[in-house]
Amino acid sequence: MNKKLRIAIVPGEVCGGCDMAFVDLHRNLIDLLGAVDIVFWPIATDFKEEDVEALDSIDIVFFQGSIRTEKHREIIEKVAEKAKIKVAFGACACFGGVPSLADLYALGEVIEEVYLKSPSTENEGGIIPGETVDNPYGILAPKLVDMNYKVDDFVDIDIYIPGCPPPKERILEAVDILVRYFEGRADVEKGTVIAGSRTLCDECPREKPEKIVIDKFKRIHEVKIDPNKCFLAQGIVCLGIVTRNGCGLPCIKANMPCRGCMGPAPNVYDVGAKLVSAIASLVEIENEPKLSDEEIATKARTIVDPAGLFYRFTLGLSRLIRVVKKK
Amino acid sequence: MGIETEDSWEPKIIAFLCKYCASAGADLAGVSRFKYPANILPITVPCSGSIDMQFVVRAFEMGADGVLIGGCHTPSDCHFLRGNFKALKRVALMKKMLEQIGIDPRRLRLEWISATEGKKFAEVAKEFVEEIRKLGPLGGGHE
Repeated sequence: MNKKLRIAIVPGEVCGGCDMAFVDLHRNLIDLLGAVDIVFWPIATDFKEEDVEALDSIDIVFFQGSIRTEKHREIIEKVAEKAKIKVAFGACACFGGVPSLADLYALGEVIEEVYLKSPSTENEGGIIPGETVDNPYGILAPKLVDMNYKVDDFVDIDIYIPGCPPPKERILEAVDILVRYFEGRADVEKGTVIAGSRTLCDECPREKPEKIVIDKFKRIHEVKIDPNKCFLAQGIVCLGIVTRNGCGLPCIKANMPCRGCMGPAPNVYDVGAKLVSAIASLVEIENEPKLSDEEIATKARTIVDPAGLFYRFTLGLSRLIRVVKKK
Repeated sequence: MGIETEDSWEPKIIAFLCKYCASAGADLAGVSRFKYPANILPITVPCSGSIDMQFVVRAFEMGADGVLIGGCHTPSDCHFLRGNFKALKRVALMKKMLEQIGIDPRRLRLEWISATEGKKFAEVAKEFVEEIRKLGPLGGGHE
């Protein structure tokens, strides 16, 4: 290939983990950097907003992070107009990610807690985002949008690379597809997800009993976890039953249950509701007729923080949040 | 369900009723000519245990203000033996999750209604419609 691909990496609401995922490509990074020109990547080098305006065309843009402020939205929309292929990179860009959990509260409550009330905050003037600050630097914190949006709420996305952060193998797979696309050797179907098309459970090597029965839900710090046995069979909620495979099982191998960063498997309509259906029905299967309705219901309710647990990375996809937030 | 304006809002309720008990109970309410509000749209399903909570999400998403789930009495009325227990456990956990998300858990209601309880179906329907009427339309803020 003679012409180098022009790549932009554009952050929204990010933690920096997705940038680290690029750095973690190790020696593959050298090959990658040989094939591309990075025209915008504010975390790595000194790019400013004016540089977005100055760009003429971009071959591939990787959007990282969700859209939390009006500024995120503005920059992301501006870059999207100039890009040929738009990629949502990481769980936040694809599904809203962890920042979406703030949407369990009203926006006013979030602002109050974060900017005014939290014990570690010193904010004498009571300044909140969107207000002009009277200081020598003229810094203005951008106004928050009404909820935490995933990127495809505002721009069309061609390729989704889920994960928190996306695993190295999947990034290389995506790069390979993209390079071949620009050489005219491959097609990119809109909405391609660079991950498996089955569930994580499907490829999990742990022993699963014939029938899973949960008598008590346990949290990971409350119990010594058997490294060879299915988490659910040990009473620990694992999201592998609804999550896409393709991550390479790093959590499972580290004896930690799946938290769903690869997003919902195909045909899952709503992650949380699906998990409620699947997991609640495992409670006390053996003793059902012996217990009263109230006793059984109480047992089912013992999961601590079901919304935060089931929607850990995917609350931005939740349809119920949109029902609550609609005007 | 009719044309509505701001002032003429009427609660919309989807009822998932199991074929063998609650749905038969609703039929009995009909043939016995018990009156109950027309706000309830019944959908017959094979068993209350077959109701995926994703159906509830879909109902709320499509504009329902409340969802009623009707099944057979515990412990032993279920045609499929344990389906009603599944519904019981799912609804219990779903209510907890709805509350966190900002939807009043009273908008999801589980009732055991046998095929002979036409009267109970009519009463539950009336009561539930009134409860949802008090809660108001769903959406537009955390409850």
